[in-house]
Amino acid sequence: MSNNILNWKNNRDMFPEADEDGKPIVDLESQKYVKVWQGPNHPGVTGNMSLELTISGDEVMEAKTHVGYLHRGFEKLFERRRYIQCFPTCIRMCVPEPDINEYNLARGTEVLGGIEVPEMANWIRMLVLEMARLQVLLRMVPGQAGTMGLGLAGTWGLYYRELILDRFEELTGGRIYHMFILPGGVRGLLPDGFKDRLEENLVKVEAFMKDVDRLIYTNAVFKKRTKGIGVIPADWVDEYGIMGPVARAAGFERDVRKDYPYLYYDQLDFGYNIAHNSDVFDRFIVRRHDVDTTVDLIRQILNKMPKKGDIKAETPNVLHWKIPKGETIIRCESSRGEYLFYMVADGSIYPRRINLRGPSYTHAVAVLEKLLINANISDVSAIMVSLATCPPEIER
Amino acid sequence: MNELINHLKERFPIYDVVESTTGPTFVSLDAAKLIPMITSLKTNHGFKILVILSTVDWIEDGKFQLTYIINNPDEKTDLGIRIFIDRENASMESIHKLWVFAATFQREIKEMYGIDFPGSPGVDDQFLLEGWDEMPPMRRDFDTKKYSEDTFFPRPGRETNDPAEYMKQKLYPDE
Amino acid sequence: MSIKDVIVPFSAWRKVFDKPVTIKDPINERPGADRYRGFHKNDLETCIGCGTCEVICENEAIDLVPVEGIETKDGDSGLRPRVDYGRCCWCGLCVDICTTGSLSLTNAYTWVEEDPEKYRFTPGVDEKPWDNEEKGWKKPEPNYEFYNLKRVTMEHLHPEERSDSFIEMVKGYSKEQAEKEADRCVECGICTATCPAHMGIPEYIKAIRNNDLEEGLRILYDTNPLPEICGRICTHKCEAVCTIGHRGEALSIRWLKRYIADQNPSEKYKTILNSEFIEKNGKSIAIIGSGPSGLSAAHYLALMGYEVTIYEKLPHAGGMMRYGIPEYRLPYDQIDKDIDYILSLGVKILYNTTIGKDITLEELGKKYNAVFAGTGLHLGRSTRIEGSDHKNVYQSIELLRKITLGEEIDLAEKMIVIGGGNVAMDITRSIARLQMKKYGKAGVIATSLETEDKMPADREEVVEAREEGAIVDPGWAPQHIEIVDDKIKGLHVAQCHSLFDEEGNFNPQCNLDNLKFFEGTMVVESIGQGMDLSYLSDDIKHELEIDKRGRIKVNEDFQSGLPWLFIGGDIIQGPDVIHGIANGHTAAKGIDTFLFKESK
Repeated sequence: MSNNILNWKNNRDMFPEADEDGKPIVDLESQKYVKVWQGPNHPGVTGNMSLELTISGDEVMEAKTHVGYLHRGFEKLFERRRYIQCFPTCIRMCVPEPDINEYNLARGTEVLGGIEVPEMANWIRMLVLEMARLQVLLRMVPGQAGTMGLGLAGTWGLYYRELILDRFEELTGGRIYHMFILPGGVRGLLPDGFKDRLEENLVKVEAFMKDVDRLIYTNAVFKKRTKGIGVIPADWVDEYGIMGPVARAAGFERDVRKDYPYLYYDQLDFGYNIAHNSDVFDRFIVRRHDVDTTVDLIRQILNKMPKKGDIKAETPNVLHWKIPKGETIIRCESSRGEYLFYMVADGSIYPRRINLRGPSYTHAVAVLEKLLINANISDVSAIMVSLATCPPEIER
Repeated sequence: MNELINHLKERFPIYDVVESTTGPTFVSLDAAKLIPMITSLKTNHGFKILVILSTVDWIEDGKFQLTYIINNPDEKTDLGIRIFIDRENASMESIHKLWVFAATFQREIKEMYGIDFPGSPGVDDQFLLEGWDEMPPMRRDFDTKKYSEDTFFPRPGRETNDPAEYMKQKLYPDE
Repeated sequence: MSIKDVIVPFSAWRKVFDKPVTIKDPINERPGADRYRGFHKNDLETCIGCGTCEVICENEAIDLVPVEGIETKDGDSGLRPRVDYGRCCWCGLCVDICTTGSLSLTNAYTWVEEDPEKYRFTPGVDEKPWDNEEKGWKKPEPNYEFYNLKRVTMEHLHPEERSDSFIEMVKGYSKEQAEKEADRCVECGICTATCPAHMGIPEYIKAIRNNDLEEGLRILYDTNPLPEICGRICTHKCEAVCTIGHRGEALSIRWLKRYIADQNPSEKYKTILNSEFIEKNGKSIAIIGSGPSGLSAAHYLALMGYEVTIYEKLPHAGGMMRYGIPEYRLPYDQIDKDIDYILSLGVKILYNTTIGKDITLEELGKKYNAVFAGTGLHLGRSTRIEGSDHKNVYQSIELLRKITLGEEIDLAEKMIVIGGGNVAMDITRSIARLQMKKYGKAGVIATSLETEDKMPADREEVVEAREEGAIVDPGWAPQHIEIVDDKIKGLHVAQCHSLFDEEGNFNPQCNLDNLKFFEGTMVVESIGQGMDLSYLSDDIKHELEIDKRGRIKVNEDFQSGLPWLFIGGDIIQGPDVIHGIANGHTAAKGIDTFLFKESK
């Protein structure tokens, strides 16, 4: 059955007629179709988003993404806040991984304002970003199985994520919203003994990943349910601006950390994690390897970072910090892919425009809408999670 | 990049070229020339990815700035194209034929700034703001603070004092 | 897919035997981390209610409220921050920017309350269980600041360049320096109350940041018509209470004021200040003395439309500013810049006219609608020790006046100055310069009752005097001047160990076992000045109320017992320039009210 879906273009018998673009012609009056809403209640890892599905039998004929349940107008709020005041706000644009927002905002302010950040601060930033990636992956990798009813792994994952959050609490003073990277630097050095405690957690995480492998990777049901599902053809990748693990699962070497090295990623040793089948299973595999890479990167960072140093550059008084007129883009690699800020300064103490463009902007709208056509309704959430949809970054 | 800019200069009326070591090169262009230039960049120069389509409201000049940032994944370069259009009855040609998902950007910009993109699929559908009938909220003249004060009620019991003003009242009220 | 894929997942059952990871009693077993950003704590003693936390709070969660038992006083607004936990997001920016370091977050994170209103509380005032909690978020250290703690250094002439010349030694800020210094201000406005003239300090500093110096000048003239002068020699009481000074160096408010005045050319003043046309109201006022209070009163009265005439005893205007302060601190052309602008408003000035000799006060009272007297303190006080009546014992104030008038003063190679105030430093440094010119080296010793840390002179005055070759040796009480053959040989002093008795009265005590002898052939006394009220006739004195210490009583408008006579300046309050300016301004408003009422 699932293999047929892959070849739906060749086998039109069981599906409604399609127009020129391959879009099915749906006639609701015929009573052959039913409209089903998935969401907007929070399904677990994907945030408050809803999908309007038109189904025939258990096949999805048409899907439409509805967002707007998390719109808080952050980009408008930035326009009436000083640069320093934006950073406790911007993190809320991505709840599970707030640090990428902090980093992009801080970096953008520094680039436009001409501030050079001390070396130590940059190493700590890198550590924070990798720790953030690890805690997201610890939720997402086992969570993929959760979308198919194997909730057990997801629950385990949450405990190991908590361990990383404990370290975050110790380092930054907060568990979820760290508010640690601010324009000019970071807000503290590593506490005494932090390295050892983090290393302890990393060992536990590695042991846990072996459990995950046993439970999910070598699991006949999981393989049956994910292989060949939600296949993204290679020619979509550039066309739709697909990025991160999703693009890597399609065989593309796309990783901002390597393509546009920021901080000191060029001094670290790591590669692209690539797969070639571009289905849900391959995206799971790519993320599974990302966990290993991230753990390894954290160790490299801890070994390479200096013992002490300044944490913050001297900046003008933050209350009157005028950033000269200019515009730029700042990108970094989130767990979901390229995460980008477009920032415009107009010479005043407030930013003129900060525009976020996250991977979900295309993954969860244009790509998902197209990918779900002719998918089995029971695979919808699996496909959605494999694309790592994150509505807050669509809505801001 | 220099070569490309020189090449573009020969073919298209670009102006205000801002090159930077820390970010992409930005160029400005007349609205009418956007589609030819961006098509040429996509097909001939490897700028295959549309990174972002964003809007800046320069209310003091009566202009909207549309910024198209495109990316060449092979050479790993970005190019920002700025288009300035009038704020009154703002309208711009759609690029959804070049990148299908540009329709999402255009739909959002229509809703948030009121800039029309005729022909863009679903451009008139509401995106984030179901049931919104006020001015497009991302325009600079939409005052969020005033809107929230008019719409919601303040929590009672909040009052504050300006230190300098308070000290004047206390220490030298008559002077 | 193999048989392994079917069997291996069952290994998950192994977990059944693992110990659960759930924490049973998180409140007791799981305290927040050392840096946890939990609930607020505020040290009320350290906090000064500057409101910077309120400004930086992006959620508008902080209000400043009066607190019972905390008084509003110089350097403390008497307000304290109240936090609304309905809005707070615990980002800790308020802690990081706190100018005094009083605010912190503790690692407490549980708080249960039935009444939601209780979550709006004033840390430190409302008692909370975490008030004594030591752990929690504090401002990160080191080199982590939201504004610059260090002053932009003001450039001075090198000691070698200045030690024999009266050229102005403070160079003034450049545009970059001034903007950088102005950037350090947090705009709390605590300083405004302390300034006797209540100048709009944060506002004019903001004008510097915005590079709008014309607006800056307008703000200065709102409260102070002598900005060039004040920008150089003001006693800057504002800087003593500056919020930034709590953890770093206070803002150079005085130099910033000077920067604004320096950058505006005098020929544009009238346009900038919009004083080209003033409607006259037909009334006339006489002012005695062209010192700071007289000039200030003249300026504001002239703006109100009065015909103002100043009577000045000396050949130039400026009073103590010209005749008391040496040129290297306050160049004469800068005094003229301020005074010329005031004269351009139509103020007339009669030089070399002494009240009581050339014209009597009674005559003035009849000729004018009102009179303002700001005659200042121009009589030197003597130590009255043995030998102080010798002809080579001088008063500093007389010498300074002579130097300004261009008269030659008696000079010796070795001289002694008695006094530890700014005037003493002025005369010491002037003498050192003259000695340098005449003899090629300085030979002056300044001594005072007060010890080094209690000397009333500004610290930089003492440091600079030493740089210029003068010796400053404080902490000695003068005993007697040794005179041999009618010539001064030197000054005998004894160590002084306390200045005030238990009741707080001035009663210096010295240790007669620890004596010292300063060699010198001339002595200058500089221990304070007194007022010369000889211009008041007995009839007038009779009408005025004069207290035990010889001060004339005036009301808050500086109106004396004679309704037409207003008195202000050093003889009432001070002594310093800025009080004089403030008095003059208030008196001008008082005169206006008085005459306005009278005409009704």
